Amino acid sequence: MIDKITIFVPHILMALMIWKLVHRPDLDDDPALPNRRQPLLGHRATRFEADDRRPDA
Amino acid sequence: MLDLFFTAFCLAFLGAGLKRPFLFVLAYAYIDIVAPQKVSWGFLTHIPISLIAFSCALLGWMVAEDKNGIRVSPRQFVLLLLLVYCGLTTRTADFPVEAAAKWSWVWKALVFALFLPLTLRTRLRIEALTLTMVLSVGVIVIGGGIKTLSSGGGYGELRLLVNDNTGLYEGSIISAVAMGIIPLALWLANHGTIFKPDWKAKLFAAGICFSCLLMPVGTQARTGLICAVVLAVMMLRSTKRRMLYIGVLCAGALVAVPLLPSSFTERMGTIKNHQADQSASTRVAVWKWTIEFAKTHPFGGGFDAFRQNSVSYDTVKADYAGDNNAAIETDHIEEKGRAYHSAYFEMLGEQGYPGLALWLLLHLMGVFQMEVIRRRYRNNPPEGFAWVAPLADALQQAQMCYLVGSTFVGIAFQPFCYMLVGLQCGLSAYIGRVRRAAPVPFVQRRPVPAQQQAGTAAMEIS
Repeated sequence: MIDKITIFVPHILMALMIWKLVHRPDLDDDPALPNRRQPLLGHRATRFEADDRRPDA
Repeated sequence: MLDLFFTAFCLAFLGAGLKRPFLFVLAYAYIDIVAPQKVSWGFLTHIPISLIAFSCALLGWMVAEDKNGIRVSPRQFVLLLLLVYCGLTTRTADFPVEAAAKWSWVWKALVFALFLPLTLRTRLRIEALTLTMVLSVGVIVIGGGIKTLSSGGGYGELRLLVNDNTGLYEGSIISAVAMGIIPLALWLANHGTIFKPDWKAKLFAAGICFSCLLMPVGTQARTGLICAVVLAVMMLRSTKRRMLYIGVLCAGALVAVPLLPSSFTERMGTIKNHQADQSASTRVAVWKWTIEFAKTHPFGGGFDAFRQNSVSYDTVKADYAGDNNAAIETDHIEEKGRAYHSAYFEMLGEQGYPGLALWLLLHLMGVFQMEVIRRRYRNNPPEGFAWVAPLADALQQAQMCYLVGSTFVGIAFQPFCYMLVGLQCGLSAYIGRVRRAAPVPFVQRRPVPAQQQAGTAAMEIS
C-alpha cells in the first residue's frame, strides 16, 4: 500500500506537469527573451504587404 | 499492474516528447532518477529505456530545437575536460574490466550534464526540470518517509521501493540527495508556475520536505544528519526572519528528539567517537591508504582502484560502569577492497590529483556562480525576475549539501548531482542570454557628479 502511494502520487503530478507543459507556449519561447520566430514571420508579412502595394500587383 | 503502469507512463512521457521535444530531456531525467526498469519486472527490463530517452532527447534537440545564442560556458568546458580525462584513465586503469563497467554509466552522466544547459533555454524549462527532479526523488522518499513513520526504519533495513542498494536507492546517498531536494521543493512552492504556489502546492512541498527530513532517520545514515545541519545553517543565511527561523528550528528539534528511535540516536552518537564504530574506522583507514596510493599514482588508478586496498585498524570500545570504572575492548580488524566512502578520496584514488582538481573546480565554480547570480538579483530584481535569486540560492544550498555529504559517501559521479550541475549551468546561461538581450543604449549617459549637478542648478536659477 505504501509503495502504491509513493508511486502513484508523484506520477500523477508528473502526468499533470507533462499535460500542462505540452500546452504552454513559453516552454519553447521565453517572454523575457527576443522571440526568434516573430521577426522572421514579421519580415515575411512585410514582404507580402510590399508585394501587394506594388502597382502591378 | 505496476509493470503496465510504468510502461504506460514512460511511453506517454516519450510520446509527449514528439509534440514538445524538450519533454524527452525530462523523460531521461525521470528514468535516470527513478529507474523504472528496476522497479518493474516486465517489458521495461528488456529494453534500454534510458538509452532510448537520451537518444530521443539528443535527436529532438538536433532536429527541432532553436540553437541560436547558445554558448559553451567555462564550466561546461571543465566538465568536458573531466569527461576526456576519465576516459583516458579508464584506458590505463588497474582493474580494466571493473573500470569499464563504471565508465559505461559515468560517461552518460557527464554527457547529459554537458547537454542539459543547451536545452534549458527558457525559464519554464528550468522550472520543469527542477519539478521533475523533485517529483522523481519524491517517488523514493515519500514511501521512505511513511515507512520511517510507521516502523522507525533502521540501518540497512529501510526498503525503498526496490531491494537494490545501488544509485539513489542506497541509504546514505538518498539521505544526502533528499536534503538537497528540500530547497528546490521550497522554491517550487513559492515561485512555481506549472503548479501555482497556492496552499495545495505548499502543502505538498511541506510533505516532500518532511519525507526528506525523515530519510536520515529511516536509513540511519549519519551523512543525512550532517547534510541537514548544513542545510539549516545555509537557510539561516537567506531567511528574512532569522530569530523566528531559529526559534522554529529549536522547537522542532525539542519535539523531534524524544520521538526519534533509540537506534538512531545511538548511531548518530558514533559521529563523535569514530574509533568505536567499524564503519567510520574503515573510512579513515581507506582515506589514509588513498593518500599513500596517490603519492605513487598521482594520475590515479582508474575507476574502482580501491579494489587493491588492504587496510587494518583497531576499534576501541569503552563500556562505562560508573565510578571511574570502564572496560576497554580493542579489536584488530583487517579488510581488503573497501570502497572510498568519500567522493573526494574517490576522485583522488581513481583520477589522481588532476581529476580531483577538475572535479573541485567544477563544483566550486558552481558555488561561486550561484553566489554571483544570487547577489545580482537579490535586491530590486527586474520585473518578472524575482524567482532568480531564490533559485540560485536553492541550487547553491543543494550543492553545499552535496559537497558536504559527499565527504562521507562515494558519490563523485552520481548522475543526480550532475543534473544539479547542468541545472546551475542552465540557469547561468539563461541569465546570460537575458542580460545580452536587454536593450543597451548606444550612447550611455555619464553619471553626473552631485557637485556639478548642484552648480548647474545654481546657474539655471541665477
